[in-house]
Amino acid sequence: MTAPLSLAPRLDLPAASPLSEAIRARKGQALDLDAGNVAHLGGLCLQVLLAAAASWRAAGQPLRISPRSQAFEDAVAMFGLAPAQLESGQLDLGQLEPEGAA
Amino acid sequence: MTHDPMAEIRASFFVECEELLESLQDALSVMADHLEGDGSQDTETINVVFRAVHSIKGGAGAFGLTVLVAFAHRFETVMDELRCGRLVVDHEAMKLFFQAADMLADHVRLARDDASGSPPGSETLLIAVEALMGERAPELEEEEVAFAPMGLSFDLALPDLGDAADLAEADGRCWTVRLRPLDALYASGNETFHLLRALCELGSASITCDLSALPDLDALMPETSCLGWTVQLTGGIEESDIRAVFDFVEDVAEITIAEAQEVAAELGLAAPEPKPEAASAPAISPPCLSLVPDLIVPPLASAATASSALPIQPIALPSERPTDPAPDRLAAPAVAAAAAAPAEAAAATVRVDLDRIDRLVNLVGELVINQAMLAQSVTEAGLPANSAVMNGLEAFMMLTRDIQDSVMMIRAQPVKPLFQRMARIVREASAAVGKEVRLRSEGEGTEVDKTVIERLADPLTHMIRNAVDHGLETPDRRREAGKPEEGVVTLSAQHRSGRVVIEVADDGAGIDRPRVREIAIRKGLVAPDAVLTDAEIDNLLFLPGFSTANQISALSGRGVGMDVVKQAIGALGGRIAITSERGQGTRFSISLPLTLAVLDGMVVRVAGETLVIPLSSIVETATLSAHDIRSLGPETSVIHIRGGFVPLYDLGTELAYRGPKASYEGGIVLLTAQEDGSRAALVVDEILEQRQVVIKGLQHSYGNIPGVAAATILGDGQIALILDPGDLVENATGRTRSADTILALAG
Repeated sequence: MTAPLSLAPRLDLPAASPLSEAIRARKGQALDLDAGNVAHLGGLCLQVLLAAAASWRAAGQPLRISPRSQAFEDAVAMFGLAPAQLESGQLDLGQLEPEGAA
Repeated sequence: MTHDPMAEIRASFFVECEELLESLQDALSVMADHLEGDGSQDTETINVVFRAVHSIKGGAGAFGLTVLVAFAHRFETVMDELRCGRLVVDHEAMKLFFQAADMLADHVRLARDDASGSPPGSETLLIAVEALMGERAPELEEEEVAFAPMGLSFDLALPDLGDAADLAEADGRCWTVRLRPLDALYASGNETFHLLRALCELGSASITCDLSALPDLDALMPETSCLGWTVQLTGGIEESDIRAVFDFVEDVAEITIAEAQEVAAELGLAAPEPKPEAASAPAISPPCLSLVPDLIVPPLASAATASSALPIQPIALPSERPTDPAPDRLAAPAVAAAAAAPAEAAAATVRVDLDRIDRLVNLVGELVINQAMLAQSVTEAGLPANSAVMNGLEAFMMLTRDIQDSVMMIRAQPVKPLFQRMARIVREASAAVGKEVRLRSEGEGTEVDKTVIERLADPLTHMIRNAVDHGLETPDRRREAGKPEEGVVTLSAQHRSGRVVIEVADDGAGIDRPRVREIAIRKGLVAPDAVLTDAEIDNLLFLPGFSTANQISALSGRGVGMDVVKQAIGALGGRIAITSERGQGTRFSISLPLTLAVLDGMVVRVAGETLVIPLSSIVETATLSAHDIRSLGPETSVIHIRGGFVPLYDLGTELAYRGPKASYEGGIVLLTAQEDGSRAALVVDEILEQRQVVIKGLQHSYGNIPGVAAATILGDGQIALILDPGDLVENATGRTRSADTILALAG
């Protein structure tokens, strides 16, 4: 079952902890993130999303971010990343160890 | 309510200025110490000095504080010379630097108060400081071009400096900027995104994100910064433009800026055999421009950058890494290094409005009172001692106490800024009276309640001036006495048994007791035939209007003397004591409560009234037996305790609740001791308990009441006075016996 998670409009420092908890709570299942309302993406939430993508990738579970607001796409590009890096597709983050739980 | 974000930013700039001025003073002191030592100066200290002045300039530029910018700029220019090793520090230069730092502080203060113009002597001082550069000045102006339009000040400070030739030269330059935000960057409300965007706005940029330190999702602390970025910038960009982007985050991020060809050369070396040393920054920038501490780049990150950054790609994805065993092997130490980095960084801090803290302190005070009330009702309900409610209440009490301690700790601040202000007073005072004086400070890290610190500044200033003016001898006299010409004033702070003790000591001539006595007699303060102990003579200095200086100097001796100091200290719940040795010096000790919000007190009952006596002043309690009490004079008594005699005071009589008792046999006394070592025995009717009480000031409503420090609200809602035993004893009559004559008169 897919659990869609709608991302907050402002993904800044106060949003980092709740975001990380919300994502961790959905471990072990396919995850759809809705970034359609995101107006600001900060460095800390970016980390959470990157780590989540790596974790889902390692677990072989799909993680998709759709829809994506323009601000979200712009921010990801500004951070020197491609949106695909925030999903669990073919990309690999290198040093991350595979998850124990499959 | 109007909310002005600009005013807030401006206010926080001035708070930052205070911190920068503090670090400036610190670094100058270190430099002065080095000068005293082997005379060599280390570049990092000089960098700190430069950076402080530079940051103040940058911020001031953003707010259009042109006078401040102009001063900081010229000061900075000299510091830059120093930094580049073209200026040798000697005693004279050091003195000027200190004065310039003081002047900078004055400039900041004027700017903060929206006052126009410069502080007096600013220009003269600048000329003197600039004279240190000698004939280098004109040549310097040119070199400085790359530096001057720095920070946010470039459109305000020196708009005409950016000349076309420089821009043309700069056109082809390619910069590599490495940015690794620390946790504090986010915690202080900054955002990497904005920094990256600001960089992009400078010219054409390609950004690479370094994910090497990103931990597993489970291990990720959401508020810990793990990512780093490398930005390749091309276009007519000056290094100063790039630095301007990081002006307010220099301390909360690791930043290196390097011209690309240098990086290429460096990476050429580093790539085949990635070593942490090779990856760090020292080779990157010319020594003159190394503003930031060397960047610690984890080995893997440098390898990744090496493989992806050249040639430049907009999005570098080091996809070969997972299959490459070597970087994998390196991954663990890389992550470890990244994890260790935040620990080395300065502790993160948050600026909080003092009002909010005060509100919290008040609320905790209420909580303590409430908890006391609850405890009282539980006791009155007669529940067994081991009932769940009692146990819960016990835990609650401990928790309340912990909360209270923590809240008090928020208010506590190191005395260092205060001591630094005193260093300035010493410099100015010694210059005014033509004495060579060094201030030695000890225990700068001692923390005291913020209010106490603020209210200590005036009395301390006065004492320091006194020490320099009256305490220390003239250089000639010192030489005659076989002392070094340079006098030493020592300012120290330490915690001692729940109080903080601040001492001002000089190594001067000590108190001239015969002269003090003579003056006191002349002024009619004591009877000519009075027999005074040394301590009593010393204490004459605290009498209002007493001044020993023969001549009124510009500095002190205007009759506003130590009595004012004593009053100010007393108002803080503190006590001042004086010790002096002829020829060796004088020492003033101020003992203060750690906080003005709560105290540990002994709750006693006297003549049906409940009173609180600060525990810190009570040495012991005792029950009197008949042979302990000895009469002294017609109305007073002493008690014999621990081999000595201590004056006996009946609290009931002293506070005019009742007359002296017929007999004090079997009475309870509290033995109190003051900072000067004097003791007193206070008679009370009953000791109720020992507890922490919340101090509620009375001064606003009733002014200063002799013997009463404040009031508190007890658990049953009753108000109790908190006594000040020292003050009480000082003003006490000591009546413990009704003289027959008085009884007769009373009928």
